[in-house]
Amino acid sequence: MFSPERDLDRRTLLRALGSVAATAAMPVSLQAETGPPILTRAIPATGEQIPAVGMGTWITFNVGRDQRQRAQRVKVMQTFFDLGGGMIDSSPMYGSSEEVIGHCLERIPNKQSLFSATKVWTLLRALGVRQMNASRELWGVDRIDLMQIHNMLDWSAHIGTLKEWKAQGRIRYIGMTTSHGARHEAMAKAMAEQPLDAVQFTYNILDREAERRLLPLAAERKLAVVINRPFRQGALIDSVKRHKLPEWASEIDCANWAQFLLKFVVSHPAVTCAIPATSRVDHMRENMGALHGRLPDEAMRRRMIRTVEAL
Amino acid sequence: MTRILSFTPDVFFSLFEQYNLAIWPAQFLAYALGFIALLLVFRPFPQRDLIIGAILAAGWLWIGIVYHYLYFTQINFVAPVFAVLFVLQGLLFAWTLVLRGQVAFRFRPDVFGWTGLAFAAFAMVVYPLLGWLAGHAWPRSPAFGLTPCPTTIFTWGMLLLTQGRTPIHLTVIPLLWSVIGGSAAWLLAVPEDASLPVAAVIACVLIVWKNRLARREAFA
Repeated sequence: MFSPERDLDRRTLLRALGSVAATAAMPVSLQAETGPPILTRAIPATGEQIPAVGMGTWITFNVGRDQRQRAQRVKVMQTFFDLGGGMIDSSPMYGSSEEVIGHCLERIPNKQSLFSATKVWTLLRALGVRQMNASRELWGVDRIDLMQIHNMLDWSAHIGTLKEWKAQGRIRYIGMTTSHGARHEAMAKAMAEQPLDAVQFTYNILDREAERRLLPLAAERKLAVVINRPFRQGALIDSVKRHKLPEWASEIDCANWAQFLLKFVVSHPAVTCAIPATSRVDHMRENMGALHGRLPDEAMRRRMIRTVEAL
Repeated sequence: MTRILSFTPDVFFSLFEQYNLAIWPAQFLAYALGFIALLLVFRPFPQRDLIIGAILAAGWLWIGIVYHYLYFTQINFVAPVFAVLFVLQGLLFAWTLVLRGQVAFRFRPDVFGWTGLAFAAFAMVVYPLLGWLAGHAWPRSPAFGLTPCPTTIFTWGMLLLTQGRTPIHLTVIPLLWSVIGGSAAWLLAVPEDASLPVAAVIACVLIVWKNRLARREAFA
């Protein structure tokens, strides 16, 4: 049966897989401090390359004023930058996360590759302006790189501010987010009609709803795609880690399940950056390992899905 | 399952630690005021209903302003809403019990009196012991009179120790918090908070029963 949506999906996927292969073959400009070149992806709006694995901060960086836990998060973020990390994503909704990010950044010298991404999450334009200014101060940066409208909350009130701020150089990119499969229709409409540079939504080896509409549309509209919940907030890792990593995972240079799951996400041609969250240095090392080695092709991706679904 | 809270249990207990150490030795004062409130239920004393009302109002106002607004907001974006609820309840206590003096607190040896007394004792003694058994002892534990859950259980007890009809408007926010706070038992691994919704259900049933009896007595 003819299915335009599925056909478009497959066509976009194949075309983009080709471009991924080409990108992989090209020398990349970024690399970890002491390591080999890492996997980067271009933000379509500008061509700027960013590492394909970033860092989320939901729960993990919301540690309040606990000095012991703050010190631990400094180590996590230090590891992130040491291994070539770029995008750090947060939100005013995440409690003290933005303040803790600022605390960590202040203590890390080699943070030149930082790509700051946060969100505006409030009703009313005036409150949004206040919140975005507060975010910049909490992060301790001159400007936020990517400002996103969190879960599309009152997006029509904020989009004008974001356009103005981008024109003034106060932010570099405009984005919009949703999560856990919610509001895909509204998101698709915004992607088609609004002047966005990036979108953020959930995509992982088991939650692939985004493949149907949002990922092909992002590719078509030339939008950067930030992927949240690549591990289903850790639940996916918890469920697969009881099983042995398939031996054939070495064919795509995966040493652990985290890399297996992340390589699945970032190998989708429309994906720009996945943002797993962790509060542990060893887990950060595992995550950042996904920036190295071979990526799965389409056949391998299907095999990865079958394997995880069968566990 | 989606993690609906933006912080971990470890961070939650760490917040209690910071809070308890910062307000030390207010915990002694809170216990002293709790004992005074209970004592006044038994013994005649000038203005005793006003004093009990002031203790309840002060507790809820303190928790709204200091615990929720100054501390819990660090890690929970909903905490300002909780702060408003607790301040509102504090003001309701102040208005109803102190300014208007509408309620008398008396112990009567009936099901309402004994249950009220049991709830108050539970909040002051058993609740912290359950926390200790669950592995979060002082200072990483919710303190009586200064944190929401044990104070709400104590409040249910005091509302059962009222003479005659218990004003229903004083039960709305404690009931709401019993649902919210009770969820901590599962979401944040605070097993002692499972007692909160249980106390709320028992207290509400008894308050409805007590108010019906009071109405009958009034018409008799």
